[in-house]
Amino acid sequence: MSAETVQAIIDDLGALLLFTMILIVAASQISRAIYAVAAQSFLIAIAGAVLATATGNVDLWVIAGVTLVVKATLLPWVLHWVVRRMNVRREVEPVIPVAATLALAVAVVVMSFHLSASLGTVRQAITGNALPVGIALTLSGVLVMATRKTALTQMVGLFASENGIFFTAMAVTQGMPLIIEIGVILDVILAALVMTIMVLRVRSTVDADIADLDRLKG
Amino acid sequence: MTGERPIELVLLEMALLVLLGPLVTGFIQKLKARLQCRQGAAIVQPYRDLAKLFRKGTVQAVTASGFFRSIPVLVLAATVAAGALVPVLRAGPPAFPLGDALMLLGLLALARFLTAIGAFDAGGAFGGMGASREMTIAPLVEPVLMMVVFSTAVAAGTTELGALSAHRGTSWILDWHAADFLGFAAMLVLLPAETGRIPVDNPDTHLELTMLHEGMLLEHSGPGLGCMVLASHTRQIVTLGLVAALFFPIVSYGAGAADLLVGAGAFAAKILVLAVFLALVESSYAKLRLFRVPQYLGIGFVCALTALALRIL
Repeated sequence: MSAETVQAIIDDLGALLLFTMILIVAASQISRAIYAVAAQSFLIAIAGAVLATATGNVDLWVIAGVTLVVKATLLPWVLHWVVRRMNVRREVEPVIPVAATLALAVAVVVMSFHLSASLGTVRQAITGNALPVGIALTLSGVLVMATRKTALTQMVGLFASENGIFFTAMAVTQGMPLIIEIGVILDVILAALVMTIMVLRVRSTVDADIADLDRLKG
Repeated sequence: MTGERPIELVLLEMALLVLLGPLVTGFIQKLKARLQCRQGAAIVQPYRDLAKLFRKGTVQAVTASGFFRSIPVLVLAATVAAGALVPVLRAGPPAFPLGDALMLLGLLALARFLTAIGAFDAGGAFGGMGASREMTIAPLVEPVLMMVVFSTAVAAGTTELGALSAHRGTSWILDWHAADFLGFAAMLVLLPAETGRIPVDNPDTHLELTMLHEGMLLEHSGPGLGCMVLASHTRQIVTLGLVAALFFPIVSYGAGAADLLVGAGAFAAKILVLAVFLALVESSYAKLRLFRVPQYLGIGFVCALTALALRIL
């Protein structure tokens, strides 16, 4: 594949990633947000495979495979399991209205494109629009975490944010050392496990969600 | 590049759109019925309904003014005029100044405004309610449609639909720019709203809690209602044609009779794809509460804005 083709494909994948991010921000049901984040991870895996064929970097194949198995299949499955286990209400509980969150997400996307446009020389070395898309994904994930009350939606936000970091790293460096990527993936798995256990324990002992834990009792 | 479209061709295309509009509605209804394991009415049922309506007499509310009678004709005229701007048989700008995609959206907005004003004029409670709902949704849909048009127009350097379609060329999804994906996604989100379908509106019901567009037609009867129904069929196929012109590839460049036939077949195929999409969405989603609709349309808004940002920044 020529460099232009790869760049075009990464650009298009970036657009689809942004679309899944918008779906996550706008989702009114937890299960839809989980499906969207699974689709996002799937797209990241495709991006990894494309870069692997382009650069001939074997590590990227491994990373794409691990992403596909862990982040696109395993983690969404765990999240769905927790949703079923907790019998949570299906609707996400936003702190501010979802429409306002969407407006903020627009601001985030435009800002990341604007900021990375000023990094002209750096950006030329980078695969297409990967840098602004990655920054936008990361920040929107943080936005989702900040504007949702339930722990599960915050987890979805964390995964989306992590996807953004992953995409940026993958496209900017054209393949980080395998050991680092594996470390990041393990990090995510551990975070998911810890948070799942936390959520379930909190729910079973005090019957409250994370948003209710805002006061310290002595 | 393609040549220009002479006036005969434009008129022929307009007539085709008006004639085929009910067929698209019939097809969607038939497909929906089959998806729900029903037999469903024949595909030509909308034509029969129209023929029946045009044979009937007219009854008018005593509170309606004289203007009320002319509303259906004006609505139909505005919608059909919008149909003239959609390239059907082949791409390329018309050979004479006609108007562009903004004109098309403006004419559709005019038709919508006239429908609403007619509903208020008749003085019925349902009409006023339907009109106020429609006018709540419309300002969320129309600017976003314009942004989608702009995100494509920035690349092509024109807002004329035929030229936009020619600029899209024959290549399919592989040649799409990143902004095209987001623009198309926005368009798919908006399509049910613009054609008055689930999850925004429900075309099959006259339940007062759910109807938007149908509520505005309640006071019309006979040929007037026929005109309004024909206008909404035409509006649907015009909107689908707009999507096809903006995002789908063109097949034939030539001007010969054979090329036009191929173009007609290609147009039918594109409309068919979009109609199947609409039927699938209608069958798999529930109608949203009215207060949820802005949130749903917000997805389209953000997608369109991001598409523009990708195109410009």
